[in-house]
Amino acid sequence: MSANWPERISAFLRSPSQFLCSTTSDIFLAEVLHELRDDRASDHIKVLLLSPLLEHPTLLCPSVFVGEETALELMSVFAQCSPKSLPLRCHLLLALTSVLLCSCCVSSHTSASQDFLDLLLQMAQDTNDAQAGAALHPLRTTACDCLRELEACLPGLLSQRLELLSSLRQQENSRLHQAYTGLHALALRNAVYLLTQQKEAGAGDLKAALGSNEGFVWGEGADSAHPNSESHSDLALFSPLTLGTMGKVPSLQTGLDCKELRSLLSSLLEESYLLTSLSQAALLRQLVEVLAMVPAVSPTILRAQLLRLLGTCKVCLLHTTLLMKAAFTDSLFNAEDEAFLLKRLVGLSQHPLLSTPEKLFYIDCILHFPENRPISSGDESLPVLLTPRLAAALVPTVFNDSVSMLARLNLLSLVYLEEGEEDREGQGGRGLAYLYDHLTSLLRIVENQASREMVVTFFRASFLFLLHFCHVERYSEDLSQRLCDLYLRRTRLAPHLINLADRTQDRLEESGWAVALLRALQRTITEAPLSQLTLQDLRWHLRILARVAEEGEVLQRATLNFLLCVITSSSSALCVSGDWRLGNSVLGVCRRLLLHPSLDSLLTPLADLLQHLTCHYGETDIQDHARLYYTLLTTLSQEKLAGVLAQRGTERGRQAKVRSLSAIMGENEELTSGLTVHQTERPLLRLVKLDKHEPDECRPEHKPDSEPACETESSPGQGGIEDYRAQFQSSSFASEITLQYHLTHTGVHDPHFDKLFSIRLHFDLTDGHYEEVSDISVPCLFRTRKPPTVRLRLKPKQPYHTTLRASAIFTTEDGLSWHSPLADLHVAFPEVFLPLLTPLGWAREKKQRVFEGIWGEICSGQSEGDLTNTATSLFCDQLEDSAVGELVEKYFQRYLVSDLDKGRCNVLFFLPPQSHVLLKVITEEDAVQVHIATDNWKLLPYINSYLEDITKEIHSTQQVNGDV
Amino acid sequence: MSVRALWIISYERGESVAVRFSRRYPTVEQRAKCMAGSLYVSVPEDGTVLQLLLTELGLSDSDKPYMALRDDCLHQQRSPALELHVEGPSGGVLWPMLVISQGPLILACLAVVDAPADPRPPLICPLGTPLDIPQPGASSASAMPTPAGTQKQPAWKTGVHRGRAVVNVALTEMVRSMQYGNRNRQDLWDVYGTVTCKCEVEGVLPNVTVTLTLPPNGSPLMDVLVHPCVSSLDASVLTAMSVEDCDSSSFSGPYKFPFSPPLEPFRLCSYTSQVPVPPILGTYQLKDDDNQLRITVSLKLHESVRNSFEYCEAHLPFFNRDQMGSVDVKVSSGQLEVSKEKNLLVWVLGQKFPKSREVSLEGSVSFSGELPGPTDPLCTDLTAYIKLYFRVPDLTLSGCCVDQHSVQVYSSAKPRIVTSRELLSSEYFIWNSTGTAPVSSGHMML
Repeated sequence: MSANWPERISAFLRSPSQFLCSTTSDIFLAEVLHELRDDRASDHIKVLLLSPLLEHPTLLCPSVFVGEETALELMSVFAQCSPKSLPLRCHLLLALTSVLLCSCCVSSHTSASQDFLDLLLQMAQDTNDAQAGAALHPLRTTACDCLRELEACLPGLLSQRLELLSSLRQQENSRLHQAYTGLHALALRNAVYLLTQQKEAGAGDLKAALGSNEGFVWGEGADSAHPNSESHSDLALFSPLTLGTMGKVPSLQTGLDCKELRSLLSSLLEESYLLTSLSQAALLRQLVEVLAMVPAVSPTILRAQLLRLLGTCKVCLLHTTLLMKAAFTDSLFNAEDEAFLLKRLVGLSQHPLLSTPEKLFYIDCILHFPENRPISSGDESLPVLLTPRLAAALVPTVFNDSVSMLARLNLLSLVYLEEGEEDREGQGGRGLAYLYDHLTSLLRIVENQASREMVVTFFRASFLFLLHFCHVERYSEDLSQRLCDLYLRRTRLAPHLINLADRTQDRLEESGWAVALLRALQRTITEAPLSQLTLQDLRWHLRILARVAEEGEVLQRATLNFLLCVITSSSSALCVSGDWRLGNSVLGVCRRLLLHPSLDSLLTPLADLLQHLTCHYGETDIQDHARLYYTLLTTLSQEKLAGVLAQRGTERGRQAKVRSLSAIMGENEELTSGLTVHQTERPLLRLVKLDKHEPDECRPEHKPDSEPACETESSPGQGGIEDYRAQFQSSSFASEITLQYHLTHTGVHDPHFDKLFSIRLHFDLTDGHYEEVSDISVPCLFRTRKPPTVRLRLKPKQPYHTTLRASAIFTTEDGLSWHSPLADLHVAFPEVFLPLLTPLGWAREKKQRVFEGIWGEICSGQSEGDLTNTATSLFCDQLEDSAVGELVEKYFQRYLVSDLDKGRCNVLFFLPPQSHVLLKVITEEDAVQVHIATDNWKLLPYINSYLEDITKEIHSTQQVNGDV
Repeated sequence: MSVRALWIISYERGESVAVRFSRRYPTVEQRAKCMAGSLYVSVPEDGTVLQLLLTELGLSDSDKPYMALRDDCLHQQRSPALELHVEGPSGGVLWPMLVISQGPLILACLAVVDAPADPRPPLICPLGTPLDIPQPGASSASAMPTPAGTQKQPAWKTGVHRGRAVVNVALTEMVRSMQYGNRNRQDLWDVYGTVTCKCEVEGVLPNVTVTLTLPPNGSPLMDVLVHPCVSSLDASVLTAMSVEDCDSSSFSGPYKFPFSPPLEPFRLCSYTSQVPVPPILGTYQLKDDDNQLRITVSLKLHESVRNSFEYCEAHLPFFNRDQMGSVDVKVSSGQLEVSKEKNLLVWVLGQKFPKSREVSLEGSVSFSGELPGPTDPLCTDLTAYIKLYFRVPDLTLSGCCVDQHSVQVYSSAKPRIVTSRELLSSEYFIWNSTGTAPVSSGHMML
């Protein structure tokens, strides 16, 4: 097993997830620990074995328990190590630190972590190798580093050990003093921060803290600061300068009495020179933080170091100087210093001896320069002191590498943008002219077969330029023209141009530059001589034209003419060749044209083009798709087309579109689903009957009799019935009944169907009693809104009850069409009833006359009509007076010809097309007689069962009322 | 140590790419997680990091002319800190990824930022704080362990020197130039110098002072940068800067640099300077004559420059043309070497200019070869240059020098002191005056 450890460990480190597919972390950890205990394994292998614990402790020790167990194992390995195994012992300390910290053992303050801390501190106390000798230097350094990491992760852990740390630092004379200094400074910073968080802490507390030599602080300070906690003040522990509450640096009010701290800081500063640059920078940063938190000590104690730091060639040290400036502004740097520092940064940003990353960093520092009196705050802003003259040192040139060039262009754009604001004509000054010249130089380089990197850089530079100066038309228009010229020479730049157009459109929406560029590109392509067009160019042209076709504002006639020319006339070879990809690109343009708002004006040429492709293109797939597009174009409405073709296009964004190889393949699935009517599994809609009746529209109104309505010219004496009959000469008169429903969702809840559009309700007859019912359209139905009312008009042939099969087709929000059945619609017999239809304004008496007339005709058999159809009947039931009143009010009100008077009334049901049912209701004592006369005897059984039903109903309500 | 992870990647253009070394720091990662809160993005495995990094650097899929992820113009990489866009459910942006390319190696590290992730702090906010980096040229062979004493040993010094004391101070000055031979375009030249020291001196913290002096009317040294071992600086040393106009009355030396030397050779300081004339003034004229170029060149060595070169060569490359056919060129001094494959004329001027200090080259070159020659996107048509390569020992243009006697060493043994100086050309271009030459500095137009 041990033979393959190097391989296994490197496999684990390369990809822990893959490695753990073939084993588990428990097993692997057990194996590692077992091997570490094996005396036969070499130190070298054991160091290697520790690396999984060093790099991925959370994977191997996911809980406090496992962490603690592992730590105990490692401690025992450490104890049994030969003293000579220095690298192994160092790595064991590091692994222990990782495991204990990352499995939260330290914050849970387990016994292993206490033992480990004691061990570290004990090792650290052997200053100047008094006990163990210089050979153990590495172990001592590692112990200090481990303590520092523990303090960094649990700030405050060593805050009661400052005196010890201070004396260790002072005693140590070997190079190791750096490790002690780092540890001491960090613990000091954290201790001061914790004091700022204590109410009423003052000079005395600070003094006590500096002289403290107690145990580790496992208390609240350390615990609450554990990385797993979230509170703001805990975060500030890691960086008091940037993270104090409300952007304010937490401060400790000590009065002027801070002798101890001042002398401690001075001694740290004096010795800072002896540290490596990186450690110096870290130390200075911590001291700056302490000084910022303790205002009683003046930051001027840093002044002695300033010149050395300002002159340094080390990035990290100059960076610290900027940090000091940000923290103390004019209490450490006067205006002259500020000007100097800025000029120095500009100088360094172009220094011939510095590396590119260093120069880039300094340019970044200029854009985030900590000014004494900042005017603007924001992501990137120019320091006030950065004049165009000063910035001229940083103008971009063609000799710069790409990244530096873009950084310089960005900086100078900001400079000249500000300069341009002072320039009244808004045309920019010489600086801007230079930048534009530079851009055109880059463009010339791109024209001359530049490398891919150069091309990308040019387009980035163009975008940057436009971002700042799109409003300067002189340049933005010229650039657009130059890009078109460039494109004709280098058509393979098409994807870059499309990208530039997309991005400028996103970022500079209101400028319209992108659309202008696309329009210009369209012109460039369509106006170029066809004789020079190569196949390769055509491919790129089609990409551009497809993008142009996405712009509703750009007229597409030229594009179509171009395509027609290319496909139909000159190079008919194109069609013959049957190149699938080319055909696909042409269809890609067509597809976008199908979506174009000006499609109406493009209809004929587009149809011609598609038809030509259908008939002549030498590739079946392309032919098929062209035919499909042709069919879509000629049969679907523009809205439906848009719905079908544009589906999800916007959601997926441009990148996805670019990725799909084909303009049609990708859409194929969508097309199918867009054009297919899908079937819902269950009924989604239902019609709920409304009881209210249609406000009479085709019928004369029921007017209250109090109006002594005009006995109009049409009523000569008692000729009421003739007038009534005369109405039927118009065949459409009173031939329909209208039923009202609410269209609503059924209980099935699927958010996909919450919003439905273009609903078309279709009804099928189940018998021959009615004429075919026409479809009903409802514009939309939203679950959240009031349900729409649907009026179903039925034209009976025979006035019988019936059942209708109903179904709906509708569109969902995503443009898909659906078919869904509805529950059968039952039309009951009484629903066919209409009241007596008389011309407007007829008085009650006149209606009564019509009633009596018809009654008379039926009863006396004198009717001129089909006498065999007439019939009379009698219906009796036991009903009390009040019940009769209820019966009439509830069921006959609408059909009354005379008012209920002493238990008597006349009722007339008209049943389209031509039937009448007349009732005379007579109440005698506790019985009601309903005399029935009808001119359609076939209705009698229905009338009878109707009367039975309603009287039964009345009985039951009377019963209920009586019980109450 | 506040680096979340670091990688060393070997990259040979289009050939092989591999993560050679990687290291993660889980305790720092814990802090990063805490600082970033909900915006925390964990570090992906090496394979993913490699892919993301190459895409970000524009190095992935080099066979594809355009890739949206890689080449998007929105994506403005302008600072040394990159962002990596991690996809997937635990995805997000990893920042700041610091990347340095060095030959075939890419060094990358992900630093932890001690500030909330949103809004993103400027780079000026503290990054990671590694403790030390190995010094180039540091050898532990000559180092002896430090004797126990009261003086603290600098952390950047691995031991103490034992043996003969030698102090070596070398001053190297580089001269750059862009000459256009065009009235509308100002010629440019400047120099920059470095002082490199190797000090073999005994003691834990020995004191050495090196003094740079200028001739009486010399222009001041500007943009002075010093090594961190320099223990103190006079403010006047730093005042002169190339980005602003120089005040003739400003401080012009002597420049004192007190320091305690590390064991290894190190660059004590560097400076830039503006000198009144370029050492060699040239003119270059090309005439295009029916696929044949007529060439006229003249070079003149300034009288103030010592006429004693270690080498001096003028290179005349021709780009974007077919390979050279016949070369009919005469030189007034030196020899001409012709490299037809590279379309390059090398005019070897040797150690000395003639007494007149002027040399010339005249003739014509036809480009009738069957194969195309080298290409260059900048040098099309008549845009062409001559590049000069020369080295003059014991000379600086600024007049700056380190006097052997001015080097002070406070040490028990008197050391041997060696000083030297030299002038080297760097980016020394003479552009064809009949073609358009690219602008190389903003100062030219303002």
